[in-house]
Amino acid sequence: MKRFIAILFSVIVVAGVPLRAETDEEVEAHKLVLDLTGAFTNDGFKLRDGHWTGMVKPRERALIAVNLYAGNQYWFSAAANSKAKKIAVELYDETGRPLTTDSYNDGERASAGFSPSSSGQYFVSVGLLEGEPTTFCLVYSYK
Amino acid sequence: MIFRVPLAALASLAFFSAAFATEPAPLPPDLLATAIKTDSLTIPTPGELFAALEKPGKPDWAGQYRTPIPMTYRNRAQIALNLGGLIADGFIAVEAQDSQQVKNIGTDIIKLAKALGVSENVLSRGNSINEFAENSEWDALQEELEATQNEVKSSMQSHRDQDLVILVSVGGWIRGTQVVSASVIKNYDEQSAKVLRQPAVVNFMHSKVNDVGEELKNEPLVKDVSTQLMAIEKLDTFQAGKAPTLDEIRKLNEAVTKLMEEIQNKADTK
Repeated sequence: MKRFIAILFSVIVVAGVPLRAETDEEVEAHKLVLDLTGAFTNDGFKLRDGHWTGMVKPRERALIAVNLYAGNQYWFSAAANSKAKKIAVELYDETGRPLTTDSYNDGERASAGFSPSSSGQYFVSVGLLEGEPTTFCLVYSYK
Repeated sequence: MIFRVPLAALASLAFFSAAFATEPAPLPPDLLATAIKTDSLTIPTPGELFAALEKPGKPDWAGQYRTPIPMTYRNRAQIALNLGGLIADGFIAVEAQDSQQVKNIGTDIIKLAKALGVSENVLSRGNSINEFAENSEWDALQEELEATQNEVKSSMQSHRDQDLVILVSVGGWIRGTQVVSASVIKNYDEQSAKVLRQPAVVNFMHSKVNDVGEELKNEPLVKDVSTQLMAIEKLDTFQAGKAPTLDEIRKLNEAVTKLMEEIQNKADTK
């Protein structure tokens, strides 16, 4: 984990969502993350019908803004294709303060669970800890 | 290979990772400002809002129904805004577990979607909504409504109507906030009141509305929506971690109700 501290605070900036077909790598990452979220669905979590796919490089992170409601429980899950050896999902509050989450890591798949006590904006970070530049897919479940 | 992780296994791994985790450093504001914001993840669905509101106790959802809205709009922006509102109404009917209301709203959603010329895929969802409502499959209905909303948006994008997508989200958020604030006013408690704090959502929607093409931006209804969203953002900026007061919620409810009425009733001036 110490290596993760050294991750540069760089992000993939994606301006807008171009209208295009998903690449094979994006489809693969999406499929992998949906497999992971099955466990949450079995536990009563609803999978939001929406996802984000992007690229992440070693020692970089992708940062995605989400808006959460106090009282709900959330699991944020990401999966990358086989070029990734280890990814991490972390959560930050609206001021950028890191949050303590339940977490699950399985190489190229990871999840972070959180129950906000305050409604508002939060940030989900998907970082590539080990491996080559890769495509990842992020989804979330709530109940 | 399909890989399913039991939640119990995730829980034990959670301990494992917590034991080795080192607290990450805070993120600086300039980095936060570059975060990706996308309609598909950044704007919460009405289902998420209503799920949070139900935690302290089930509200009187049926008491939040409104009379059917006109189906005769000709202005595309107005149709998109009202379509979003109707989808939120669909979620309310699902929460109320009211089959007939779900079917009625499902029919209206398809009518408005047709008026925008969305794809056949969306229209076929009307049948699924009816079928799930007949069988009282509430979880499936909620998923179907969410999928319908996304299908409408993706159909708009493929028809080069991208600018209308944000209006569907705005309509849904305004109607959802109107219903939730009215419900909290009726039976105030701090836990329920906390769900109403969403200034970043309003800010995001406002910036997206400002980004639409000139022609659409100059339509009177879109101009009004943009102006009023700015005021609503101020009303919705409650202190973090603290529940808004009843008076603050009343003001927010008045503002979103005024905007919803305008979205519903504004005469076509184009």
